[in-house]
Amino acid sequence: MRKNLEKNFLDDFEANQNIVHKICRIYTTNQSDHNDLFQEITIQVWKNYGKFRGDAKFSTWLYRVALNTAISLYRKSTKNIKTQDISDVTYKIKAVEYDDTEERQLKSLYTAIQQLNDIDKALVFLYLEDKSYDEISDTLGISNVNARVKMNRAKDKLKKILNP
Amino acid sequence: MDVLEKYKEAWDNQDNDTKKVSQVEIYKMMKSKSSSIVKWIFIIGMIEFILLGCSYLFIDFEESNKIYDDLGIKNFVVYSQVVLGAIVIYYLYKFYINYRSISVTENTKSLMNQIVTTRRTVKNYVFINLGYLAIMFSVITTMSFKKFDDFSNMQTIGAIIGMVFFLAVILGLTWLFYQLIYGILLRKLYRNYKDLAKLDDE
Repeated sequence: MRKNLEKNFLDDFEANQNIVHKICRIYTTNQSDHNDLFQEITIQVWKNYGKFRGDAKFSTWLYRVALNTAISLYRKSTKNIKTQDISDVTYKIKAVEYDDTEERQLKSLYTAIQQLNDIDKALVFLYLEDKSYDEISDTLGISNVNARVKMNRAKDKLKKILNP
Repeated sequence: MDVLEKYKEAWDNQDNDTKKVSQVEIYKMMKSKSSSIVKWIFIIGMIEFILLGCSYLFIDFEESNKIYDDLGIKNFVVYSQVVLGAIVIYYLYKFYINYRSISVTENTKSLMNQIVTTRRTVKNYVFINLGYLAIMFSVITTMSFKKFDDFSNMQTIGAIIGMVFFLAVILGLTWLFYQLIYGILLRKLYRNYKDLAKLDDE
């Protein structure tokens, strides 16, 4: 029984790990913090996996647990957004070499999101992941109207950072 | 086209396979120890309960009972300690229940609410203990003055000032302790909580 649960968890989590990586990338600014947060999210998702009934999609449930961990449970502060680690730098060089516009846009987008506050990060992330306002308000625990108002403000902030 | 739209295209097209973590690595991670805020709140909370509980072990009961008897407040001390004991049990229970109710599968706002409530339980517990200390000090001082009425006015004022100073130092140290421990631990959470709660007030 336990082995089954572990196996299902590993399959589900591995298949959806890109959601967790994206969240780690917007809430941390270096590889070591990224790995730390990834590990904490893995622990939290596993600890609560028994409560996941399967009446919703695993990914929907994962968004909630992973965002909650990043916003409320994770201890390290991401105050110093200027910190860049080596992999970040090599990433930049690579992007220039290939002159890949989309890659550069993606990099700018992540850097811009990292400058938002934690709640705005969650809002923008859920928007980028095409989540409905119902799902967003449900995940964060705010009303639908408030989610819309706050989303517009977060998007405006993001646009200003991207296009000053 | 909206400036965000072209960035969103880049977002949608990002390569999702670059940072693949294998099942073996995930397995290792899921078995490792959590270092979440909730765990720390529980550990620190338990330390506070234990430390305050143990502080009574350092009191020489025979000696102090004799003093209470002399001052005629032995009954008051005994009854008040029974009440305090009941309060301690109530708070331990409440702390445990609150801690258990923290669930990362709740929505973000409820989760933060649960964390803040759990921490507030310990804070109230500590301040009730300090309050009790203040009451005991006041009662002992008052009764001492009544018993030893040969205190001069100057001595009385001096003793009161000393007492107030002592209480202020204890309260100050407790406040500092909270600023340090919970300040570091919960600064980010409070900021996010305020950000989220602000929406409902607008």
